[in-house]
Amino acid sequence: MSPGGVRRPRVKSFVLSNGLRVLLAPVGSSPTVSVWVWYRVGSKNEHPGITGASHWVEHMLFEGSPHFPKGQVERSVLMVGGEINAFTDTDFTAYFTTVPKEHLSLPLDIESDRMTRAAITDEEVARERTVIHSEREGNENWPEFRVEEELFQLAFRVHPYRWEVLGRRRDIEQMTAEQLREYYRRFYGPKNAVLVVVGGFDARSTEQEVRRKFSHLPAWGDDVTVQDVEPPPSGERRSVLRGPGTTPYLQIGWRSPPLNDPRTPALLVVDTILGGESRVFSAGVGWRGRREHPTARLYRTLVEKGLAVRATSGWSPRVYPSLFTVQAQAAPGVALDRLEEGVERAVERLRRDGPTAREMADVKTRVRRGAALSYEGSTSTGFRIGYFSTLHSLDLEDELYDRLLRVSARAVRDAARTFLTTDARAVVRYEPTRGPSDE
Amino acid sequence: MSSSADPLRLEYGTPASGLSVVRQPPPAGAASFSATYVGPAGWGFDPKGREGTARIASYLLSSGAGPFDRVALARCLDRAGASLTTECAPESAEVTIWGPASDWRRFLGLLADVVLRPRFATEDLERVQRQMTERQLRESSQPASRADRELFHATYPTGHPYRTFGLGNARSVGRVTPDRLREFHRTHYASGDAILVVTTFASLRTVESTARSCFSSLPERPGPTLPMPPVRAHASRRFDVNLKGRSQVEIRVGGNSIPRSDPLYPAAFLANEVLGGRAQLSRLFQRVREQGGLVYHASSELESMRFWGYWSVGAGTGPDRYEKVLELLRHEIREVSARLLPPTELKEVRESSIGEIPLALETTAEAHELAVETAYHRLPPDFLLRWPSLLRSVTPEEVQLAARRAMDGRTATTVLAGPLSEG
Repeated sequence: MSPGGVRRPRVKSFVLSNGLRVLLAPVGSSPTVSVWVWYRVGSKNEHPGITGASHWVEHMLFEGSPHFPKGQVERSVLMVGGEINAFTDTDFTAYFTTVPKEHLSLPLDIESDRMTRAAITDEEVARERTVIHSEREGNENWPEFRVEEELFQLAFRVHPYRWEVLGRRRDIEQMTAEQLREYYRRFYGPKNAVLVVVGGFDARSTEQEVRRKFSHLPAWGDDVTVQDVEPPPSGERRSVLRGPGTTPYLQIGWRSPPLNDPRTPALLVVDTILGGESRVFSAGVGWRGRREHPTARLYRTLVEKGLAVRATSGWSPRVYPSLFTVQAQAAPGVALDRLEEGVERAVERLRRDGPTAREMADVKTRVRRGAALSYEGSTSTGFRIGYFSTLHSLDLEDELYDRLLRVSARAVRDAARTFLTTDARAVVRYEPTRGPSDE
Repeated sequence: MSSSADPLRLEYGTPASGLSVVRQPPPAGAASFSATYVGPAGWGFDPKGREGTARIASYLLSSGAGPFDRVALARCLDRAGASLTTECAPESAEVTIWGPASDWRRFLGLLADVVLRPRFATEDLERVQRQMTERQLRESSQPASRADRELFHATYPTGHPYRTFGLGNARSVGRVTPDRLREFHRTHYASGDAILVVTTFASLRTVESTARSCFSSLPERPGPTLPMPPVRAHASRRFDVNLKGRSQVEIRVGGNSIPRSDPLYPAAFLANEVLGGRAQLSRLFQRVREQGGLVYHASSELESMRFWGYWSVGAGTGPDRYEKVLELLRHEIREVSARLLPPTELKEVRESSIGEIPLALETTAEAHELAVETAYHRLPPDFLLRWPSLLRSVTPEEVQLAARRAMDGRTATTVLAGPLSEG
């Protein structure tokens, strides 16, 4: 158990001479072991012309390395009943493999092999281009994806958060294999990586194995700090998209503080009060879709009153200032103006009056209860440990927990007043153009 | 792992008061508890002309029950650190509660309140009706859900539970009233023939006595009978649905299949895993995505239920590539039936399926899902322990035979939904 009330297994941490940070969390009773490699590299490290490179590299690390030719990474893991996958975000790229505990060596071999020696061949890049294109096309079928992409593009003019992790269509079409290899060589290496091992293993022998398999890797990894600073918004920005869909849809974004900002706990409470559960201390953080909560203000103001069929807020604090969002899908027959007025009413009430004592008590109950069950299973434990360690530090999870329990109603009101201002927001509306029977 | 505390070994109680209790030991080190009520309340039981009733009833179970209105129930669950989920399927409806292991008795009481004493308030019904209307629109206009919908419409006759997703239409959903819901609830939730699966450290005896007390109002009588009109096999057909303005075409190929109780099920399971069920190890993933570079997703599904089942192959691709992808999908479907599986491929897929069992026991919630499935299909209590040997006894010939019966490409329906004319 960690000291802060978060029910986390004990973690042994060390750093290899090449810069690789290693976190070992043995859980004696676990029949599995989950190995995660987190790179502090994401779409924030790209630039126009190579947007989507991090996500593409994520795919290419499955396409061959010296001891695992193409197809062998997945094949060897699935052969022992394991699960393997990866995902890319703005601030990180994460690879994970969970296997029955007797096969721990396998994921360590895979990650060591592809950390600096992935074969990103011209042929495989060309083939994967269509796969990635197809992934993007699948997302584009959803109005929600198109709106969110537009929202970040609208809200950011300078910072790399302005493009979608999948990358722009044109860049996917034109990026070369050499550009991808250069990006990989530049950023992917032990200096920018965190290795997390969780589950049924012996800490001492595993530490030796990790040292043996990773210490010889070159100390690669350029600085991943983003120098571009987004200036404060100078006024409201708006955009309208049109296309096929069901009912009008709306997303509003406000500039939000970074993960380690002292006001972050208060804004997390705003998110919980407006939109429903907070992901930070709900079990399986990052893995489940947000569920609407009947006590959430947006739900009560919009869904219960018949203005929307879905309404929630969303905020994943990031390394740099990002966006706090509210999204709502209109009920049949409800126009976007009415929907937006409803959102504004809910937000304005929070800015004006702050949360009620009951709401504050409810949030804290949920934080406490969520933390108690947030670590179950080696895969989700590996996620949580890696997530906090990569974005900031494992201690931040304990700090956030303590600070969330100490947040005052006034701090929540102040956070709403500071961040959710009408003159510094971006609004994207989606207007369905045709009915469903358009075939 | 074969001790009495093995989550793979279930314990079946004695059916009484219309309820069968099944107990599963939790995975080692688990701190949580899970219980699921499964009853004969799926959308296959929807009253004629009021399609959508079963789904609405299922949604509304979490909108207030017993002494709690919707908000009070949510707060009560929050205080307990618990979560409640409801799910509606063609044959049955499920309600699951999950929370800290120490409070399991209290959670069982809450689950009984939710299942047996829902409020069905008018304002909650109106809200869900609005949400259902939007979902109906979404089902029609999203390529993926539209392709699924057309596939099942083409495969199953009117009145068959598997023909729809239980959303009804604007008119049928509009006819549902609180009284109609209560009537549906009386005949399908409080009717007997239900199963309660509990994953807990407590003994079966303790669980049974607690469950009997919580669910005492369930009458001891058989549940309703699911209407199951016969399914006619027909020649292979194709339906194109042009949805303009979308980016990707969704492809489905599939049809009727075998029930879970069919002796060929283990072989059919492996046939599906080989074709497209076993993620990156499957032929569809390897040949359509990894070698062909044509799609992001290509997979297959075999859903064997209590009465019948269905199978489908699915992929999404751009408007310039869908004919080529369809050709590859059809080729792979034919191959599984036409040729004996190479022994090495069978071994790989089989051992992968067996090897993943420990991963399914990582958390209480995951282990519990296995127990619910086993109990619903009335499989023996040690079925999960015997599953590896069942798979190991399957021969390549049986896989081929099962593929022909359970995933018959010759009678399959093909649906393409998306921007077809833009290619």
